[in-house]
Amino acid sequence: MSDGKVSLTGLNDEQSEELHRNLIQGTQFFGMIAALAHLLAYIYSPWLK
Amino acid sequence: MIYGKMWTVVKPTVGIPLIIGAVAVGSFSVHYAILTHTTWVSAFLEGGAKTAAAPALAAPVAPVKK
Repeated sequence: MSDGKVSLTGLNDEQSEELHRNLIQGTQFFGMIAALAHLLAYIYSPWLK
Repeated sequence: MIYGKMWTVVKPTVGIPLIIGAVAVGSFSVHYAILTHTTWVSAFLEGGAKTAAAPALAAPVAPVKK
């Protein structure tokens, strides 16, 4: 597939991996922000106390 | 990268909205459950209403002469 052939979705391996890299990076960014927000919520609220 | 080639099988126009939608629905339902099952989230959203809602002090009344 990496030799230019198209797959079921029309993406080749390189395109698929590039998309996946960006998706993972976005997920990590979202996760960092969410972790920070949960830390602040834990500190400033009676949550789990 | 692990699972990097999944988008050769799953259409990104289907898979990505599905993943993001699942995260959004899950997140919304957990936060909504916390909102409806605790007092402190709604108190936080009320802002300073806790102090504002306190009963106003009654005005001093002069003693009644008999």
